[in-house]
Amino acid sequence: MRTIVKPTSLAEAREALLDSAGPVAVVGAGTAASWAGHLGPVETELSTTGLRGVVTHNPGDMTVAVRAGTPLRELQEELAPHGQHVAFDAARVAEGATVGGLVATADAGPSALVHGSLRDLVIGTTTLLSDGAVVRSGGHVIKNVAGFDVSKLLHGSYGTLGVLCEVVLRLHPVPGAVGTVAVACDLPEAARLAREVLSSQLEPTAVEWLSSGRLLVRIDSTAEALPARLERLTALIGGRIVDDRDLRPDSDDSDGSSVTGGDHWSEHAALTRGTAGEAVLRIGAKPSLLPGLLGRLPVGTVTAGLGTGVATVSLPVGEVAAAHTTVHAAGGTSVLRTRPVTGPDVPAWGPPPSALAVLRAVKQQFDPHSRLGPGRFDPWEIS
Amino acid sequence: MALDSIARAAITATLAPDEVVDDPVRTRAYECDGLTGYRVRPEIVLIPRDAAGVARAVAACHRNGVPFVARGAGTGLSGGALPVADGVVISLARLRSIREVDVENRRAVVDPGVTNLEITAAVARHGLYYAPDPSSQQVCTIGGNVAENSGGAHCLKYGFTTNHVYSCEVVLPDGTLVTLGGDTGEQQGPDLRGVFLGSEGTLGITVSVTVKLLRTPETVRTLLADFPSIAVAGEVVSDIVAAGIVPAAVEMMDTLAIEAAEEAVHAGYTVGTPAALVVELDGPIEQCDSEFARVEAICDAHGCTRLHIAGSPEERARIWKGRKAAFAAVGRISPDYFVQDGVVPRTRLAEVLQRIADMGSEAGLRVANVFHAGDGNLHPLVLYSAAKGETERAEQLSGAIAELCVELGGSLSGEHGIGTDKACSMPKQFGEEDLAVMGRVREAFDPTGICNPGKVLPTPRLCGERPGRYRAHPLEEAGVIERL
Repeated sequence: MRTIVKPTSLAEAREALLDSAGPVAVVGAGTAASWAGHLGPVETELSTTGLRGVVTHNPGDMTVAVRAGTPLRELQEELAPHGQHVAFDAARVAEGATVGGLVATADAGPSALVHGSLRDLVIGTTTLLSDGAVVRSGGHVIKNVAGFDVSKLLHGSYGTLGVLCEVVLRLHPVPGAVGTVAVACDLPEAARLAREVLSSQLEPTAVEWLSSGRLLVRIDSTAEALPARLERLTALIGGRIVDDRDLRPDSDDSDGSSVTGGDHWSEHAALTRGTAGEAVLRIGAKPSLLPGLLGRLPVGTVTAGLGTGVATVSLPVGEVAAAHTTVHAAGGTSVLRTRPVTGPDVPAWGPPPSALAVLRAVKQQFDPHSRLGPGRFDPWEIS
Repeated sequence: MALDSIARAAITATLAPDEVVDDPVRTRAYECDGLTGYRVRPEIVLIPRDAAGVARAVAACHRNGVPFVARGAGTGLSGGALPVADGVVISLARLRSIREVDVENRRAVVDPGVTNLEITAAVARHGLYYAPDPSSQQVCTIGGNVAENSGGAHCLKYGFTTNHVYSCEVVLPDGTLVTLGGDTGEQQGPDLRGVFLGSEGTLGITVSVTVKLLRTPETVRTLLADFPSIAVAGEVVSDIVAAGIVPAAVEMMDTLAIEAAEEAVHAGYTVGTPAALVVELDGPIEQCDSEFARVEAICDAHGCTRLHIAGSPEERARIWKGRKAAFAAVGRISPDYFVQDGVVPRTRLAEVLQRIADMGSEAGLRVANVFHAGDGNLHPLVLYSAAKGETERAEQLSGAIAELCVELGGSLSGEHGIGTDKACSMPKQFGEEDLAVMGRVREAFDPTGICNPGKVLPTPRLCGERPGRYRAHPLEEAGVIERL
């Protein structure tokens, strides 16, 4: 039987862990519950959703400390009146994904091209380990090299190393305006155009191809400069301006919210969720290799970051194992997200990285009794 | 304690004779890094010709339980490359090739001994550059940058080394070679590359780095502005940030630092002005112009006493020459000085500078200030005369300044690292449990504790037994964090 605990403070979370025995699942909003390895049997489910709300927001310093169970969407709404945001646009944010969950799953959206993933925006964390130890690393300042950057280990840890309780984030100004140019084209043509854009000095924030047959290029800008920048962009790659919004608080276009609005980016987000009945695979490969690689896979829906080299594709569940092998052969990485069925024939991860022994040693040090997140890195047998 | 002769033979046998230095006269050259106050002469210095040699040497150290310290150009300012008395130094000076420049994927694969600036020099003709730019970039190596997670003047906008490295090939402390990171930002499990970066040589030795390259910005605009006080200059920085502008760089210098820099390089700064700001913006022309106009207006609105806009690349270089020369230039106005490195939340700059000035007066010592105002990273230069017996007082003042930064909610170090210098100050910033968990990270990578021991984390041997009484963490007192 599974006991569900929902602590509302670090102290309660620690008590809950120490009072329980046996395997534990750390759960946020549950928007990525099916991602990566299939969770093995657990006795306790520790929900982080009670750890909610902003701890401190320092607008002048552009930093915010937030409890890990806070939905990022909620945080963004709270920051918006200050003209600030977390420069992060993974599709799951709209579904209510929590800050901690987004860190633990190493998720990222199209603007990772410029801003990176949360690993690049997190400047401090407070983490609870399964033996009750609490570690704070980093701090409340952007620039900081004191001590080991333990926060990085939590990024992509899928709840196997510790419970993120508090996260300190670096903020960025909401751009004065945002524009998107769309070009109808197939993937090889999109790759050619992406090369043009990326070797220009137009500084796009996102360059993504969608399997609906379009290349989207987004520009974040001052309101004054946006028209000229979009004009230069269309002169370079053709297409048309499909989004052009002044986000300044006093403008008519401003809906006071995000840079990622607009139907075109909503379609992008929808495509990353794949097709019903199919598996969704997240792939990373050198950008130049990505189009060829996707051409060799039996993909359905696709979003392909042509600057980042990160693609999210759907494919038949029976093809997952072979797809891992193909991606690995191109030097890339792959991890399963959604899947209609589980089992040894549908491996979540491809061949393990060369540092597998270090991953195991870190797991042993952080979670000595292997209580947290059983199965999430299968088939690698990290714990 | 001398290195056991059997161990010594086993280690040196892994390399060719010309890759081993054990002549005491020559090993003395390796006794310190840029922090010259600490010196330890290593027993042996190994200078392997290739990565395989590094791996063989480390494996031999591991088998024989001999501690080792990796060394790049030795420019570090925190004693991170200080040798261990009964150990070996492994120099990466011969691993100096740029292995691959991949223009299409905007990345380069380089050996650890390649200097920071050599990377940009090698890719500039493709319109690309490597963004992190520590002041020592002409001589410091990328391997050292990885170890220290180096920043630079432009990291406010562009980030630090950790944001610009896709992957590292690393010789682990047992001699095995692994790759940390991959070809994209996608991860295969916890970000080992991320924790390795900035670990100051305590988790392994980098033998190859794949760095991210950026397209050079279309335009760069730089201004130098004088202000009637540091506080006013600080307000200007706040207003620039509040206007939603992320400058490529914002640097501030005070009267004393300007005086020194002008004496050394005559870069056109105003001698006697209480504060000068260097603000640089870059990006597409239209973007840069619209933001630059706003920055100029903000400077004017705050009673800027002189505004000089660089009209040419030469003028821009001159402004930067003044800024970058400031450290060394202080040698012209003082026989000796300590360079400190600390961080405060940017909004507390004026407060910290006032407190530093007060502390300086109390100690009877002058402090010059040069800092990255955009991110609150201070570099106070404590001036003293060893001949007059001021060394100890200056060292105490310098240390107190770093700890003051922590008290104000900041950090002991923004870019120079903890190394040997600040290991014993770590309990000011982190609790015992925080440090213990950092110790677990080290244990995972280096269970036998032979990889750059004695750095970063405090040990009783190094720092004495810590007092048993619990002292509240400054952030806890401020109500920012909770204590169990």
